[in-house]
Amino acid sequence: MSDEQLIKEIISGSHAAFETLMDKYQLQVFRTVMGFVHIKEDAEEVTQDIFIKVYQSLPSFNYDSEFSTWLYRITVNMSLNSLRKNKKNRMLQSLEAIFSYRTEEKTPLEELEQAERDKRIRMAIDTLPEKQRMAFILSNYEELSQKKIAEVMNRSEGAVEQLLQRAKKNLHKKLGTP
Amino acid sequence: MKTKNYIDDFIRREKETTLNPYLSTRVMAKIERLEKLERRRTPIWQTFALAASIVAVSFLGISIGNSYVESYTPDRILNINDRHIENLSFYNLDENE
Repeated sequence: MSDEQLIKEIISGSHAAFETLMDKYQLQVFRTVMGFVHIKEDAEEVTQDIFIKVYQSLPSFNYDSEFSTWLYRITVNMSLNSLRKNKKNRMLQSLEAIFSYRTEEKTPLEELEQAERDKRIRMAIDTLPEKQRMAFILSNYEELSQKKIAEVMNRSEGAVEQLLQRAKKNLHKKLGTP
Repeated sequence: MKTKNYIDDFIRREKETTLNPYLSTRVMAKIERLEKLERRRTPIWQTFALAASIVAVSFLGISIGNSYVESYTPDRILNINDRHIENLSFYNLDENE
């Protein structure tokens, strides 16, 4: 069933249609949110809020863009809002994530090194300028094309390409490599 | 080059994070709860109608109260006062029991 048909059914009150739509897109939304918040529990919470918002806003969706583009816009905006709200909590949680990090094949020293490296990468991504971060996450976590990212961000493809280049450059600079 | 690999590896691990399989159930439950609340909530027009009817009833009561004019009817008072019609103390006397 196409997105358009599903949306029509949802608007006429079908919960089953909304569940189908959710099953179709929840992983994409969750992955994108993970790019912003990095913590599974937080990402699930934000994903849940995003789908509730989608359900409430569907009657106002006017097919100006594809449903997936509209959904990505909501996802990005709500992820950024959640980051702004939980700035303090996230500092503590990221520390917790470092100490709770575990893999089976690595020695404790290697684990600690990886946790430290992850923390630096996470911080480098999180401190990118907002537009660069959006483009970087949509490109690397969702592997969206530059055209699609341009649609989500309401920018030209050229602008997105520049944002991605700057994001990569900034990341390498922050992580101490040329 | 190494940094790029580390970043790619970090992103790959984050992308592999599994999603709670009950997420959609949780969302649907929350939506249903919100809809129930929405249905239970009194519409604004009902609140206004109730407030307006209370004001109208109060105003009507005050108007009716104000419109009452007390009229003095001495004849009726005389009839009601049956102390003059029958002397009850007569039955209280011992010899008349």
